[in-house]
Amino acid sequence: MLLHNNYDNRYHAVRRRLGRALGNYLFVLPATLFLLACLLYPLILNVMISFQDLTAGTLLSGGPWVGFDNYRAVFDDPGFMPALMHSIVFTGFSVGFQVSIGLSLALFYNRQFPGNRAMRGLFLVAYAVPVVATGAVFRWLLDGQSGVINWALRSAGIIDTPHAWLSEPSTALPALIFVNIWLGIPFSLMVLLAGLQGIPRSLYEAARIDGAGPLAQFRYITLPQLRPALLAVVLLGTIFTFKVFDLVWITTQGGPANATQVLPTFAYKFVFQQLLIGKGAAVLNLMFVMLLAFSLVYLWAARREEANV
Amino acid sequence: MSAHAERRASRSRRRWLLTLGSVLLIAVFLFPIYWMMATAVKAPDQIVVYPPKLVPTHFDFSVWTDRIFKESIFVRYLLNSVIVGVGTAVLSVVLAAPAAYGLAHLRIRGKGALLLLNLSALMFPAIMIATPLFVIFNRLGLANSYLGLILANSTLAVPFSIVLLRPFFLSIPYELTEAARIDGCTRFGAFARIVVPLARPGLFTAGVFAFLLGWGDLVFALTLVQSDEMRPVTAGLWAFFGLNVTNWNGVMALSTLAMLPPLVVVLFAQRHIVAGLTAGGVKE
Repeated sequence: MLLHNNYDNRYHAVRRRLGRALGNYLFVLPATLFLLACLLYPLILNVMISFQDLTAGTLLSGGPWVGFDNYRAVFDDPGFMPALMHSIVFTGFSVGFQVSIGLSLALFYNRQFPGNRAMRGLFLVAYAVPVVATGAVFRWLLDGQSGVINWALRSAGIIDTPHAWLSEPSTALPALIFVNIWLGIPFSLMVLLAGLQGIPRSLYEAARIDGAGPLAQFRYITLPQLRPALLAVVLLGTIFTFKVFDLVWITTQGGPANATQVLPTFAYKFVFQQLLIGKGAAVLNLMFVMLLAFSLVYLWAARREEANV
Repeated sequence: MSAHAERRASRSRRRWLLTLGSVLLIAVFLFPIYWMMATAVKAPDQIVVYPPKLVPTHFDFSVWTDRIFKESIFVRYLLNSVIVGVGTAVLSVVLAAPAAYGLAHLRIRGKGALLLLNLSALMFPAIMIATPLFVIFNRLGLANSYLGLILANSTLAVPFSIVLLRPFFLSIPYELTEAARIDGCTRFGAFARIVVPLARPGLFTAGVFAFLLGWGDLVFALTLVQSDEMRPVTAGLWAFFGLNVTNWNGVMALSTLAMLPPLVVVLFAQRHIVAGLTAGGVKE
């Protein structure tokens, strides 16, 4: 044991208190610094770039300020409105089908049968495949000459002549939506299945005793109980689908004749192909505002849901 | 008695019918993956044919032996992806674990703002971060480097890991930390020695997701890398096939190569992935 004098004691007490307070912050400091430098700063820079005429020549030095010129140029661009419409159609149909197929599958896998657990795990395989590889294989499946999908549809008598699904303007967007639905099914399935499994069995037993049939049980127990999971799948699915770039880029690059041009590919072409970085940044910021609005809806709905429980 | 046995038999028959249904569903759903691998091992003259040969009758590995494992660039792509994927996983877990713990248990001002930043980071399109990073990395000389790619991928992986890990740490009672502190551990010692071992399943899940994110990324690989030998396998695959494909055999072989490592990870970590998907509610 060591004896301390008064001064030492006070010094240590202050140090300890300061250390305790600072110590808490040390836990979050590295991640916060990283996010400030690599996420927040880039986002702010993006806003600044959108007010500059930044091109290949001025990339390192910074471009001259041009006010809202980039935004005006985007709105005047004949490609902007179609890209926005494609984004909305792509997102709406993808999410609609992902959720309904995911819900049907979740209801199916919520029943007991041999091999259920092992087999439903296989849906996650879709998660392992890099999107580039998914895009490649679906281009091959949808190929106009020897694609399997043409063969299957012709064998079933649904179509007479083969279609080059991804390179005909009228079918390219639906074909792209088809591929994106495949990508999104595992997510909907897993989240909705977890939701279904969280519904207490006793609710169904009580309903059966009261004479409710399967349809009434679904309508009055399953759907209301599943609301939080459905909400998460629909809103998060919408946010994630709205920003999909890689799949579109790999399968169609926004073509043919801009039939699948969505906002992310529209922006990419400005920034990385035409090196009109300011104009591309303006498109991205417009997208950001739309996503932000949607995220706020999600956070608001999630909070309301929590308050209700 | 016999009626009872009959009912039980019919129920068991119905269950096996469900199993059969499930097999069919999975066969349809996973057909693209089967088709990718089947095309990768077919003889070239069996590929572009009508009607398609659903089951390869002649196996031919020439695209593997003559191109993929012969030209060193393909192995290099794979190596780059391993470095980027593992680097993203390690950096994300190292940064996110203490932060998530701090946000779960410690008194910190601005906690709400930090959490909101992490949540909203999941909504940002990668391409939106790629544009300014392209500018910044070119100015700093980080373009075309592993570090640049790892940092870029971590802008999504770190927030995701924090969002995923915070509930994990919340479920570990803070009393454990306090007990360790009374026994003479420092604050960080208690975290490292008591909390981290308990949170290992969560840390593993976060690491797996960060790895998959880093491995599957195309946006950063396409925008932040210029030279061929620095490309991860995703960008390499894209450079290899681009818009016009005639060599489906080669494209599918390279796709298979790009898919196998994450596939192995996913199959081994299935349980953890389901936990992560349902907790964080995040795809991609």
